Amino acid sequence: MSQVEKKAGLLRRTSSSKKPLKEKVVLMYDEIFAKEDPAKNNPRFWDELFLMKVNLEYLESKLESVDGEEVQRIQDNINSLFHHCIQALGEEHQIKVVNALQTLCALFRGVHQKNKSASGFDIINMLMGFDKAEQRMKDLMERLDSLLCGGGSESLKSLCLKLLLCLVTVTDNISQNTILEYVMINSIFEAILQILSDVSSRGQHGYDAVVLLALLVNYRKYESVNPYIVKLSIVDDEPTLDGMGMVVHQALTEYNRQYKDKEEENQGGFFSTFTSMVGSMFIADADEKLSVQTNEAILLALYEAVHLNRNFITVLAQSHPEMDIPTTPTTPTPTTPTTPLGTTPPSLDMMNNPELPLDPNLQTSNLLITFLKYASIVMQDTKDEHRLNSARLCLIILTCIAEDQYADAFLHDDNMNFRVNLHRMPMRHRKKAVDKNIPSRPLVCAVLDLMVEFIVTHMMKDFPMDLYMRCVQIIHKLLCYQKKCRIRLHYTWRELWSALINLLKFLLSNETTLLAKHNIFHLALLVVNLFNMFITYGDTFLPTSNSYDELYYEIVRMHQVFDNLYCMVLRVSTNTGQWKEAASKVTHALVNVRAIVNHFDPKIESYAAVNHISQLSEEQVLEVVRSNYDTLTLKLQDGLDQFERYSEQPKEAAFFKELVRSISLNVRKNVSLNTLSQGVLLKEFSTIS
Amino acid sequence: MEMDLGADQVINPEVALKACQEVLLMDKLQNREAPEQRRDDQQQQQQQQQRFADPTEGSAPLWLVSPDACSIKEEDEGDEAEEEGRLHRDPSPPPRPAPPSLLPAAAASKQSWLLRLFESKLFDVSMAISYLYKSKEPGVQAYIGNRLFSFPDSEVDFYLPQLLNMYVHMDTEVGDAIRPYLIHRCRGGITFSLLTAWLLGAYSSDMHISTQRHSRGTKLRKLILSDELKPTAPPPDALVPVCGSPPSSPPRSRCHRRHNSSNTDSASLFSSAGPAPAEAFLSPTRRTHHRSKSDATTASSEPGSGLRRTGSNPKVEAVHEEPERLRPQRELVKSLLGIGKRLATLPTKEQKTQRLISELSQLNHKLPARVWLPTAERQHHVCRIPHTQAVVLNSKDKAPYIIYVEVLECKSFETSPVPVRIPETRIRSARSAENLDCGGASDANNVGMMSEHRAGSFSTVPNYDNDDEAWATDDIGQLQVEVEAQTSSSDNISQFSVDSITSLESKEPVFIAAGDIRRRLSENLAHTPTTFRRDPEDPSAVALKEPWEDKVRRIREGSPYGHLMNWRLLSVIVKCGDDLRQELLAYQVLRQLQSIWQQERVPLWIKPYKILVMSSDSGMIEPVLNAVSLHQVRKQSQLSLLDYFLQEHGSFTTEAFLAAQRSFVQSCAGYSLICYLLQVKDRHNGNILLDSEGHIIHIDFGFILSSSPRNLGFETSAFKLTSEFVDVMGGLDGDMFIYYKMLILQGLIAARKHMEKVLQIVEIMQQGSHLACFHGSSTIRGLKERFHMSLTEEQLQLLVEQLVDGSMRSITTKLYDSFQYVTNGIM
Repeated sequence: MSQVEKKAGLLRRTSSSKKPLKEKVVLMYDEIFAKEDPAKNNPRFWDELFLMKVNLEYLESKLESVDGEEVQRIQDNINSLFHHCIQALGEEHQIKVVNALQTLCALFRGVHQKNKSASGFDIINMLMGFDKAEQRMKDLMERLDSLLCGGGSESLKSLCLKLLLCLVTVTDNISQNTILEYVMINSIFEAILQILSDVSSRGQHGYDAVVLLALLVNYRKYESVNPYIVKLSIVDDEPTLDGMGMVVHQALTEYNRQYKDKEEENQGGFFSTFTSMVGSMFIADADEKLSVQTNEAILLALYEAVHLNRNFITVLAQSHPEMDIPTTPTTPTPTTPTTPLGTTPPSLDMMNNPELPLDPNLQTSNLLITFLKYASIVMQDTKDEHRLNSARLCLIILTCIAEDQYADAFLHDDNMNFRVNLHRMPMRHRKKAVDKNIPSRPLVCAVLDLMVEFIVTHMMKDFPMDLYMRCVQIIHKLLCYQKKCRIRLHYTWRELWSALINLLKFLLSNETTLLAKHNIFHLALLVVNLFNMFITYGDTFLPTSNSYDELYYEIVRMHQVFDNLYCMVLRVSTNTGQWKEAASKVTHALVNVRAIVNHFDPKIESYAAVNHISQLSEEQVLEVVRSNYDTLTLKLQDGLDQFERYSEQPKEAAFFKELVRSISLNVRKNVSLNTLSQGVLLKEFSTIS
Repeated sequence: MEMDLGADQVINPEVALKACQEVLLMDKLQNREAPEQRRDDQQQQQQQQQRFADPTEGSAPLWLVSPDACSIKEEDEGDEAEEEGRLHRDPSPPPRPAPPSLLPAAAASKQSWLLRLFESKLFDVSMAISYLYKSKEPGVQAYIGNRLFSFPDSEVDFYLPQLLNMYVHMDTEVGDAIRPYLIHRCRGGITFSLLTAWLLGAYSSDMHISTQRHSRGTKLRKLILSDELKPTAPPPDALVPVCGSPPSSPPRSRCHRRHNSSNTDSASLFSSAGPAPAEAFLSPTRRTHHRSKSDATTASSEPGSGLRRTGSNPKVEAVHEEPERLRPQRELVKSLLGIGKRLATLPTKEQKTQRLISELSQLNHKLPARVWLPTAERQHHVCRIPHTQAVVLNSKDKAPYIIYVEVLECKSFETSPVPVRIPETRIRSARSAENLDCGGASDANNVGMMSEHRAGSFSTVPNYDNDDEAWATDDIGQLQVEVEAQTSSSDNISQFSVDSITSLESKEPVFIAAGDIRRRLSENLAHTPTTFRRDPEDPSAVALKEPWEDKVRRIREGSPYGHLMNWRLLSVIVKCGDDLRQELLAYQVLRQLQSIWQQERVPLWIKPYKILVMSSDSGMIEPVLNAVSLHQVRKQSQLSLLDYFLQEHGSFTTEAFLAAQRSFVQSCAGYSLICYLLQVKDRHNGNILLDSEGHIIHIDFGFILSSSPRNLGFETSAFKLTSEFVDVMGGLDGDMFIYYKMLILQGLIAARKHMEKVLQIVEIMQQGSHLACFHGSSTIRGLKERFHMSLTEEQLQLLVEQLVDGSMRSITTKLYDSFQYVTNGIM
């Protein structure tokens, strides 16, 4: 905490004293960029250099200004500088280490800015020299590893991570960053895990570590074997995974909290606040724009963990008392990994810690709940490209979760009931939901609610077809699990049915506009098949007999929609055109729904006629339905409970490439700002002590 | 551990000294003349014994008070020599209890009749405790103190509360007599150590704060918790003093101390042990250091010290293992109690449950560990707490909760290796592996669905076996649709194969009737066993209603450890903020009466449930399985008790109903009598459980003997006998009702016969106690009177009639129930 204050104070000081003066360090830089070996005249040149405060701007601009021919000339000196930086990392004197780290940052960045077009090999050659590159990078990674894992200053560790982030994000496309090949060979994965497993280091560096990991995993993901992917997929140390989850949890919680604060602040101007509130989540002095993407980085990390590591699924359900203040270390997590009770003496005592919040209003939460809330906020508005991406990523994560059997098990666990306050968009035709009395239900209900909410709120001209597809597929996967395991979830299925029917209605009424861009038949088929699931397998997962009657009631009530849909698909499938095939599938899928409509509609009408009632009540219709089941025959359809499993490649590869690119850009911006201030902080820190 | 058992010569010379100082004056002179010679004799004697010895035998060695014990000086002189000699000691069999001839002649003659009794086979623990309590004769007390060693541990364990209460609250002589036994047993095992420490803490709490700190009980407790009393493990061939040998060989730990801190007076080992262990207890790191150092010095000074620990490096073990002896278990208990305390601060049941689940999941990270549930019969290690299964129980301001605990049985939790942790998600692979063996039919479904149900629901469609399914999935695989079945292996259902196969086999459409689907749905719903509705205000109802076997199976299927052969499920109720000492007392009385009735062959049924007192305001309770409270039955079923019986067990004439009715009557009789004898009050329906066999079980003995809730005097009847109860018994004129009265009579007659055994339990506990049940002066007298020793059997019969009659007519019972309904919402 005191560091933050110090930092703030220091920042002010630097900004006031930012006058162009020829420092000694600048003179030394000039020497490096001269032809001569700087150490020739002054044998202690390198020693002295790293005692100087780094002037990042100058060094970078100097590097930038070097042109092709000059490169040849000064390459030896730059190689030498790089080499000495690495050596300085091993120094005892912390100042030297700090300066070396910063100089390295400047080197990486300067070289890349200069050589935007140059190949990766040229860059490596310029920095390290081809012949020595392997050894240099090995040394660098080893030094960084020991700095990160050692017991040294926290600020140093932070700076190490910044350097790594800087290195990882120097290119727009991470896969074109040839230097990372060495980071693959000399893995720092273990160091990252260690940071995440330790409570205190997680608190300070967890965010950077998680982002770094997420980015590293995405290096040449589809082209080669990425050791980080392999390693991440087999981690099974629970405290570490838990630590990772905690970092994500905290970041998302903080986002949710800020959103809520802002929302309460100005109830009216909702959309305007949305953009402005997001900012400054983790770095107090970062400007607002950065943070939307920052969340994408965290979300990407969550995705990679869920997607790659099956053990991570348990972390989702790991509950923690909800924390309002992100800076307080959350629930006591064991510091030492998987040690039996005896060998971790005092950690259990933390449970008796009086400082532990005993607030009776404290809600127990877990990563999944926080994620669902976050998703409900992000999904509210998908007009902006970033938010669209975030929403897409949220749905992809949910897809992975819905496919995982263990996750399904706890989603449906009757003993794990939670109240999940999802955010609902205020809309014309409905009041802002202020029902504080959401019942405590199994988590899957919240997921279904979220899906229903999305379906209802996104029927717009700029139709997010892709998101709708994912959404309906998630529902389908959950139903398949329920059917398979015979879980009779007490959920108000009616809301889902009517949302789905409304969706069909929307597709019908906007047929022409939508068909220009999307294959609406695919979505329609999925929706109709959801109804088929209920119709043919309702006996295995519906909670009450009544709910089956209600399903029929709902179909019969909205029969017009199904009739119109049938007419439409029939028309398209009889015409020759690109949608012929797709439409005819829908025609076949509709067979049972049509059978139901055709069977009950006359029955209801005759009932009305016989009893001389013009408008039948719901109860009366249900009565008709109940007494006429036996004469209705349905067709068993193929593969209703089968689904295509999610796979990132090839379908999603393009999306992730773009996502990583935008994350890289933002992390890079973030780091550059931050590295500076961090440096100032360190300098101050070390002179005082 | 085996080698440790026999070798605890842990009598304190000082204790012995005090115990026999007076009576041994004369002998002292005689025996003093030839101590050296005696020692030789002993060694010979020992070697002889050794031949017959079974070193693994569990019974404890006995130290007899011996004449030259009174001279500490001598003992000290001989100590160095002893040191050498002890290296050859044998953990030899405990000698038989002292022959009476060894008792001082004067005393012996005076008490010869007593000695004969003590020697006789009839002399059991109960009598020993009784004499220990009543006799004012130090010799007798010392004798019985020794005699304790010869009883089986389990029998003495039953009276542990009495022993400890005497130790805490009675005069020094008694304490000194018991102490060696306690020390010995503490060395023997962690469980005993912890139980003793907890009880000592609880029973000392009634003392005045100023005396409490220096009391014997507190000191012993500190000693135990300091983990000083670890098993001393001399080499297998070490010397063992026999009966009559001088108690001069100091406990093992003392020689460490001697080497370590020369200024420690050996004679004051136990009495002065207070501060040192206390300090060690506070700073474990320092202690570790100290210990290893001491062991190292021991090693250098004793050439044969390597033998001390079965060949392994003593230093290593000293550092890594010893300090952990008691800690894991204490940490577990501490955190469980801590959870209870924090839960109490939360306002709603729902929040409590959520918090409980989250806290337990944190606890899970540290399991498996060398921890166990003291309520369990068999040795085990706790491997996992299925946290989502835990529920908060109904209580107004406290937060007791029940947890289910997965354990792995083992030979000895102290020495068997702690099981390896298996990650949570491993469950899937484990399950599919299991399924490959037993085929898809017995699929392990983690949501608790039974295979019968599934088979039943699709009885109309033919069942395809696994081969077909395999084929089916392959085929689907070709169609590039990854079927869910592949991920979950044969976990997938026969039903699934029906779906896909029928469609793949023929292009002929398959038709199903909508009516069938609807019918199956309602049938399925009807077939699920009667469960209680989930009620956020009463989360425990559902959890407790679920049959234990189902729960075990369900949890086993969801557990990564479930596939292990030695996997078991246990449960325990953690209570925080409640004094369980009265519960413990009631448990003891119930156990005693139960065994009396068994002995006398009267079929009264009661279910004493185990109680663990951890302090004066916390503890654990063994839950009664397959039982829900009458309140929950009523609220959930909305039926009268009789109708509920009919619903659960079948109609009047069925065997199941009759068996349940019989169980009900036998348990009613048992508890009626208990309630009468112990004056159990606060008998509302939340405190009476009904198990799946029809037994009622009374719980919560918070108001017994002299105490009653708020002393409103509502419940004046002898016991609770509502008309609902009578209805289940078949009405006032039914045979079962007569049987009920007869059982009470028989039970009372049997109990009367062994009144002393019951009385003694209560009487000893009254010593020094401030418990509400002992309030007033007439507690014991009242209890005694209720046994009606003076009445003839005919008079007793009349009495029973009166009691039953009175209880039935009692409107106060009814009043009390409605009072409970109004104040606590208990129906």
